[in-house]
Amino acid sequence: MTEPFLSIRGIRKSYGPVTAVKNVSMDIAEGEFMTFLGPSGSGKSTTLYVLAGFQDPSGGDILLKGRSLLSTPSHKRNIGMVFQRYTLFPHLTVGENVAFPLRIRRRPQAEIAERVKAALKLVRLEGFEDRMPALMSGGQQQRVALARALVYNPPVLLMDEPLSALDKKLREEIQFEIRRIHRETGVTILYVTHDQEEALRLSDRIAVFSQGEVDQIGTGPELYANPATRFVAGFIGDSNFLDATVVASDAGKAKLSLGDGSVVEGVPLHGTSTASGKASLMLRPERLSLSRAAVPSGIAVTVRDITFLGNNVEVSTATPAGVDLAVRLPFGHEAISNLARGEDAWLTFDTASAHAFA
Amino acid sequence: MPVTLATDTVKITRERKFGYVVPALLLIVFFFIVPVTMLLLRSVLEPVPGMQNYAALLGSTTYLRVFLNTFLVAGVVTIVSIFVGYPVAWLLAIMPEKWSRIVLAIIILSMWTNLLARTYAWMVLLQRTGVINKTLMALGLIDKPLALVNNLVGVTIGMTYIMLPFVILPLMGVIRSIDPAILRAAALCGAGKLQCFLRVLLPLSLPGIVAGALMVFVMSLGYFVTPALLGGTSNMMLAELVAQFVQSLVNWGMGGAAALVLLVVTLTLYAIQLRYFNPARGK
Repeated sequence: MTEPFLSIRGIRKSYGPVTAVKNVSMDIAEGEFMTFLGPSGSGKSTTLYVLAGFQDPSGGDILLKGRSLLSTPSHKRNIGMVFQRYTLFPHLTVGENVAFPLRIRRRPQAEIAERVKAALKLVRLEGFEDRMPALMSGGQQQRVALARALVYNPPVLLMDEPLSALDKKLREEIQFEIRRIHRETGVTILYVTHDQEEALRLSDRIAVFSQGEVDQIGTGPELYANPATRFVAGFIGDSNFLDATVVASDAGKAKLSLGDGSVVEGVPLHGTSTASGKASLMLRPERLSLSRAAVPSGIAVTVRDITFLGNNVEVSTATPAGVDLAVRLPFGHEAISNLARGEDAWLTFDTASAHAFA
Repeated sequence: MPVTLATDTVKITRERKFGYVVPALLLIVFFFIVPVTMLLLRSVLEPVPGMQNYAALLGSTTYLRVFLNTFLVAGVVTIVSIFVGYPVAWLLAIMPEKWSRIVLAIIILSMWTNLLARTYAWMVLLQRTGVINKTLMALGLIDKPLALVNNLVGVTIGMTYIMLPFVILPLMGVIRSIDPAILRAAALCGAGKLQCFLRVLLPLSLPGIVAGALMVFVMSLGYFVTPALLGGTSNMMLAELVAQFVQSLVNWGMGGAAALVLLVVTLTLYAIQLRYFNPARGK
């Protein structure tokens, strides 16, 4: 087996009694776009800061091409980073900002001029050399920051929620630019965000962080189709959860009893079931079918609300026990024509597309 | 027409606001502009009309010596204040809030303490048999007491101490306003601690340095109490010279001329600061 390009091994970080990162390990391939996705306080930023050298981990190691980074101070790690806030040097022009890392490295003047020009071209800001950062928009500033972080060809580029200060339209525009730049430069990118859509749009693989640990690492489709934990299921895509009891399980498939007495078989089971057999059944809204005629094996619900969402219609329903279940159907679907609030309906699903979490 | 109405309202509010300013304007006119103008007039009218007071002041080596002393002391005090004040301001800016509050309180408390008391305290510390000389001699570092008082050394030490808060406070504000993320970015760009300081922190705190330096320099040029108490008779500073002209020699013409030279220098420096380091213009 070959040496992984970047290897995060058992990183822990605690501040006194508070543990921000419990145990994070992963291998990242050269040229990969890896996103750390999770809610705030899940340890994703702390892990990135450990990589940048702004914080020392309480335990664990980070290896770049097989060599530990931990004893190297930030300024010698040769890593690029784009921050959440605007961090251009306000007293320097755009050109001087981008030239900064090269001047520190004492590169010859001609080379600096050439590489600054190339870096600004990469982020589509040619001719902005003499602008002061304060006179640029937030999106432009982050693009300059990107140029500054890439101008010295770092092996790894860290991005800490770089688009969170921008509005939605601009964000999507720059996401597109980031993808293009990743393709053109082939740089390995570690990207932190709490926005699942952004993560899905940009990444080769996503590491889902929860409470200081990585719940699952995988491509977007993998995480969506086969979530390893209830948290991942809830964080990637939309999901409904129903309380259920594991009656029997075999080879990762479970037979579940739902509260109303109905039983479903062949549901993929994640985690080891406890003695009580308590589990959550996860159902994607777009994988549920709605029937207005009674279906014996279906879940009986009452329609609460119907929301038009453009190409989709979301039907909010509730079970007799009061559990909310959302169903998403294509606009114009026969099952929902003239459907009214308060009507009874039955939900059915393909058991293979559901997931049970013990 | 509603448009006219709107402009009228604006005009009325403007006029009303102007009305509130009148007392302050009167104060400035009667207590600052009138006296300074009278002083200017006396300096060119007494004892006879003409520029002879200025000629005497700028033509004599004795008086030039006083100017030289004044600029020298003010310059040294300014430089030393910046060098001592910068690290203190930096520390105050980055230390935990509860500690910085205590240190700040001590600094401000010293500013509130009576100026004479503080200056006399330095006399006690600096004199031939004072604590500093005794300690140095006891340590065997010197054989004879150093002449630390009744000369420009004493004046410089005493004034630096008094001026320090005027450097520390504006600098602390400026350094606090620098986003630590900018320094982190500099570090990842490859800048070590010294490079971070020289290429990022120092240029970004330059407006604070200039503001503090100007304040100290201008205040030092016209300072009276400390030079009078800690300085010797042979090393006079400008404010002392003015006092001597007015009080001992009752020569208002010469006193006015000296005061105006000081005023012109001060205003020139202020103009330079406004032109090149005005934070309101955002550079």
